[in-house]
Amino acid sequence: MMPRSLSANLIFGLTPIILVIALWQGLVSLGFAPVVLLPPPGVVFGRLFQQLVTWTFQQEIAATLIRLFAGFAIAVVLGVSVGIAAAASPAINAVVRPIVRVLAPLPKVALYPALLLLLGFGHGSKITLVSADALFPILLSTYYGASTVEQKLIWSAMAAGTPRYDILFKVVLPAAMPSILTGCRIGLVISCIVVFLAEMITSTDGLGHALVTAARTFQAVDMFVPLITISLLGLILNALLGAVRSYLLRGFPEA
Amino acid sequence: MKVVPSRSSEWVRPVTSQRPASAIIEIDRVSQVFQTSTRKDHVALSDISLTIEEGAFVSILGPSGCGKSTLLYIVGGFVSPTRGTARMKGQPITGPGPDRGPVFQEFALFPWKTVLGNVMYGPRQQGVRATEAEAHSRMLIQMVGLKGYENFYPKELSGGMKQRVALARTLAYHPEVLLMDEPFGALDAHTRTRLQNDLLNIWERDRKTVLFVTHSVDEAVFLSDKVVMMSKSPGRIGEVIDIDLPRPRRRNELLLDPRYQKYVVEIERMFDESDEVGSAS
Amino acid sequence: MTRRAAPVLACVGLLAVWQIASLALESDSFPTALEAIRTIPDILGDKESLINILASLRRMAIGFGIAVLVSIPLGLSMGRSRAVAAFFNPLLMVIYPVPKAALMPIIMLWLGVGDITKTLVIFLGVSLPVIYHSFEGAKAVEEKMLWSGAAMGLSPLRRLVRIVLPAALPEILTGCRTGLVLALITMITSEMIARQSGAGNILFNALDMGQYDTVYAMIIIVGAMGICLDAVFERIRARLVRWSEPQFDMPLSFS
Repeated sequence: MMPRSLSANLIFGLTPIILVIALWQGLVSLGFAPVVLLPPPGVVFGRLFQQLVTWTFQQEIAATLIRLFAGFAIAVVLGVSVGIAAAASPAINAVVRPIVRVLAPLPKVALYPALLLLLGFGHGSKITLVSADALFPILLSTYYGASTVEQKLIWSAMAAGTPRYDILFKVVLPAAMPSILTGCRIGLVISCIVVFLAEMITSTDGLGHALVTAARTFQAVDMFVPLITISLLGLILNALLGAVRSYLLRGFPEA
Repeated sequence: MKVVPSRSSEWVRPVTSQRPASAIIEIDRVSQVFQTSTRKDHVALSDISLTIEEGAFVSILGPSGCGKSTLLYIVGGFVSPTRGTARMKGQPITGPGPDRGPVFQEFALFPWKTVLGNVMYGPRQQGVRATEAEAHSRMLIQMVGLKGYENFYPKELSGGMKQRVALARTLAYHPEVLLMDEPFGALDAHTRTRLQNDLLNIWERDRKTVLFVTHSVDEAVFLSDKVVMMSKSPGRIGEVIDIDLPRPRRRNELLLDPRYQKYVVEIERMFDESDEVGSAS
Repeated sequence: MTRRAAPVLACVGLLAVWQIASLALESDSFPTALEAIRTIPDILGDKESLINILASLRRMAIGFGIAVLVSIPLGLSMGRSRAVAAFFNPLLMVIYPVPKAALMPIIMLWLGVGDITKTLVIFLGVSLPVIYHSFEGAKAVEEKMLWSGAAMGLSPLRRLVRIVLPAALPEILTGCRTGLVLALITMITSEMIARQSGAGNILFNALDMGQYDTVYAMIIIVGAMGICLDAVFERIRARLVRWSEPQFDMPLSFS
């Protein structure tokens, strides 16, 4: 099956968005929702473009993005290395498995107050929370991918003269890439969500904080703007990750 | 046995009875026992002893599940025997290495590398410089009939093409022994016969030692100098048959050759007999 | 024996690490594990806290319950009827990346603070994974099974209930497990954002009032809730679908 072209992908991705905006506009126009509670899309987007050129709003976006990227990056580095290590070494596996089983179902957001106490109200606590939440899907996907590498691939590489220690980098890591990238995608979505929520709970800056501030003053339009922004950011980042994925996995057959 | 000149006769080492057959692989009383999920022991191989001569094309013929692949993996160093040793040129086999190159039924090509990338892998691992490795690989790719496909990914190739790449990849690091595990089993009949022919053409050039696992009688007779028959449960060596047919072998000639037909009929009979014995026990 | 003991050992190990770290750091805002554990009975004994916690659980149960009751039939019908799928798909695809708890302030604006708001957010958070998995599960049911059912004289509705539902059950339950995790997270997060009652509220109250022991103790309680709920659900799930093959979909944890 030929991979979809870029334009086809774009249309496929944009359609639901257009539909929702249409639905939104419909709700407002038909009077189902009072303007004070649900401002029309035009007003919200207008406000969004207005804000985008202001320095303060750009700073909010920057703050959110810094935490998002830092947290995600840490989760990827940690998750992939521990995942592969656990797949490669039974000893590490025996230690990591039970820890993950205990920590995974724990709502990491419950740790947030402790993080605030230990790391303050700025970037540190949020980055740590994002890492903690994004870590597990990435770790588990990596582990799954690394432990289900086709045995004959490893044998072929060994027969060709690859030393044992090199097998991890030359065979296991590339072969596990599809799983790893799937986990990263989930981790990215989680990172976007968590950073926003953390900023909503307590923060001095960031998009989530902007929403909460607007809520306190009952400014509906100013509440929607950060929400739309983070959603758009999420979509853009997801698309970028998708492009990276397509490139890295160009040799792999479609799942 | 006469020397039959082949097309590139300068490559052919004369295979005559005057030359002392040097054993390159010795399998000495090897047994393999697996633990199954029901905690019972499954004896895959029982007391196998076999000698493979250098330059010989040897087929291991047996029904599914008789352990012939396991035997191949033991020679390849991928699996350690429960008992006994396998030796290569006198040294015990302790692990895989470029002296014994595998070709698997599932192709096992690296999906993230192109055809060229796959074939270059072995030489690069051995420290060959990139330009040299690439030139050598391109030559091999042409030899297996895939010129023009160097930058294709395995997913874009048919089964037969993938197996050609797998063969080129293994040959690229100059193994002394080729270990082939039912390499044409996943291919349709037409592709299979074509690849059998091509394999023999390639093999004629330098007459490496080949250990070829199959469950097809006519494939074994067509390709090999020797057919080793294995029975199953537990895997044991049965008859060893010398195939005294001239080389180079061409399918259209051999199919009409009464000697070939006799070999096939005889071996099929032995195959059926061992199967009956096996199922009766 | 070791397999069962391993998670318990992991818990003890983690608590030990906590203990050592807190003793090493010697900070007021980082009480030792033992101090936190000692505070737990105080919290559970305190009437008001108990009411808060039970309220949280109640909201979670209601939100989860209604979500499951609504989402499973919806997902199943989407899986079997292209028309239904086409109708709901775009809407769901857009709602998916939006953090449901982030909708809190907006919903608060519309419906005020209170149980309904929080329960609604939990409902939204749980619905999505359950719908998705029910949809996928229903889609994957072999056509031939349904044909056999039709030949036996079952009406479309009965086929849905008696063939599609059991066949899709493993997938549905995987969705429910994800939903359960999200319910807990959404509950805590929404309570942290709209502080009024509940476990999240207790956490931040204690934080504001400098009762650090309580903060950490509460974290342990919430963590324990998460682990227990997940373990109980896993048990039930394993029982109900003993006949199915192991699933690996959303990487939640090692099974």
